[in-house]
Amino acid sequence: MRQRRRKSRDEDRTDSQAPLRNVREVGERDDDAGAADFRRPLSSQRLFWRRIGRWGVVSGLGVIACTTVFPLFFMLDNAFRTQMGWYHSEIGLPTASGAAAFSGAWVDGDVGLFFRNSAIVAAGSVSLALVLAALAGYSFGRLRWRGRWSTYVFLLLWMAVPPLFLMVPIYVEMVRLGLLNSYASVILLYAAINVPFNTYLMTAYVRLLPEEVLEAARVDGAGVHGRFVRVVIPLSLPALATLCIFDFLYVWNEFLFALLLLSNNNVKTLTVGVLEMTGSRFVTNYPVLMAALVIASVPVIAVYLFFQKYLVRAIVAGAVK
Amino acid sequence: MYALPAVGVVLVFIGYPFASLIYHAFTNWSGFGPVGWVGVRNFVNVYHDPLFRLSLRNNAIFALMVPVQVIVPLAIAYLIYCRVPGWRLFRSTFFLPAVYSTVVLGLLARNIFSVTGPFNGLLGLMGLKFLEKNWLLYPPWSIPTILLIVIWANFGYNVIIYLGGMSALPVEMIEAARLDGSRFVRTLARVIAPNLKNSMELVLVTSTITAFAYMFTYIYVITNGGPGFDTYVVEMLVYNDAFVDRALGYASAIGLLLIVVTSTIGFFQIRMLTGRGRERVTQ
Repeated sequence: MRQRRRKSRDEDRTDSQAPLRNVREVGERDDDAGAADFRRPLSSQRLFWRRIGRWGVVSGLGVIACTTVFPLFFMLDNAFRTQMGWYHSEIGLPTASGAAAFSGAWVDGDVGLFFRNSAIVAAGSVSLALVLAALAGYSFGRLRWRGRWSTYVFLLLWMAVPPLFLMVPIYVEMVRLGLLNSYASVILLYAAINVPFNTYLMTAYVRLLPEEVLEAARVDGAGVHGRFVRVVIPLSLPALATLCIFDFLYVWNEFLFALLLLSNNNVKTLTVGVLEMTGSRFVTNYPVLMAALVIASVPVIAVYLFFQKYLVRAIVAGAVK
Repeated sequence: MYALPAVGVVLVFIGYPFASLIYHAFTNWSGFGPVGWVGVRNFVNVYHDPLFRLSLRNNAIFALMVPVQVIVPLAIAYLIYCRVPGWRLFRSTFFLPAVYSTVVLGLLARNIFSVTGPFNGLLGLMGLKFLEKNWLLYPPWSIPTILLIVIWANFGYNVIIYLGGMSALPVEMIEAARLDGSRFVRTLARVIAPNLKNSMELVLVTSTITAFAYMFTYIYVITNGGPGFDTYVVEMLVYNDAFVDRALGYASAIGLLLIVVTSTIGFFQIRMLTGRGRERVTQ
């Protein structure tokens, strides 16, 4: 009993406090155990250097952190400048007041249209991938049928094939299916690219759902379909949310297949559309381009800031399991 | 039956193209007209193609990022794990580069590293004006600059992977090492690293695959292979052979070769993911 209390106290401490700051406290307890022979008190000089090193490390990390925020700052800064201000120097205080560059990009630069296309593709592809993965995850994780292990591995194997090297046959297939320049082409393709990983994560999640709940639903007369709709889906919402964020970032930022499959302005997505603003058709208007880049980045950055927790969960689940 | 739609979509849009790629790698396919079987001639030509060698060499140079990607994020993750001042901020911001679209990053890089861009401005401020140049179009520096951008864009992802791995380690173990007087680097090398083998293996595999299979967007947006063919990579070669020169069979052969290489590496990743799952699925 006493031991148990002590253990839980330890856990509290490690949760709330930093391991680094714990050292002395835990160390004192270990002195009794005679493990302190290796520890010598630090001389004031060594302590001094250690502190310098510590702040050096922190400021180093701070510099990296600044570089990660800099692109955002650079885009915003230049979106609020005039073309003349840009030529004068690429960095400095905004020279234009108001959001002329943004309206220029949204209306004249077709960015509004590209934004709509990206949104349609993202919504379609992410929801398709999630539905497929939820169904497959239930099947692999809960149902028993012959060959489910080999089918599962077969599905996961496609994760090892980089889709980029399939660009030639995928392009030709889309031409033959008559899907070129249609939302359907990229919606289906992105879903197919994301499904193996999504299925992997869903299977792992569904397998860990409490057996009792499913059993209770069975007793209440829910069949295979009923249990899926009324029990598995509601309980898997956290996993589905995680995958939703993960897939969204991929689809929104994908470039190569959007470039290959969507060449018509009416269906073109943001990544390709924004790149073409620097093309040879006319002299690049940098403030407008920067405004377009800001518009293209806002959804992903917002999603990241609000749903960071879910995204991290998807990455870690892919790594640790 | 529930798994059928997922398997179907993957088979139609990944599996069928894959089979088609294998078949057409042995043909002189041009996209239209009859398809002629040429045996292994494509592969012989690939072997003698100087541009292929140059591109593959460039990919290999980009693979130099692998050791950096394995070690630096590990150290950063450990610092965050140790709760250095500001760790919450670092944890959030370090992933940002992986959130920006590659196209956006590429376009920004083109401006930031240009002759009049802020990077040269910074050098000027530090009194290093003689170093100023167009970093992305000046041959000896273009590849290292892109390499730096790619490393910067991906390191946050690896930090997250390592942090996930570290949160699963028993706290007592690390504290015990510290008690024995182990300093930062020693703890990292002797205690953390050996216990994060899985995460490190994963980072190793993903960064190697990135260097060989995910460079296209960076190169296409930043330099389009230039100056000359200096920053060409195999993905550019596949793209141009197929969609500019219409040598679809030849492009398929290059694609197939690279898939064999990368999926051999990737296979180990899949084995890691499924290895321990088996008992649980077939219980």
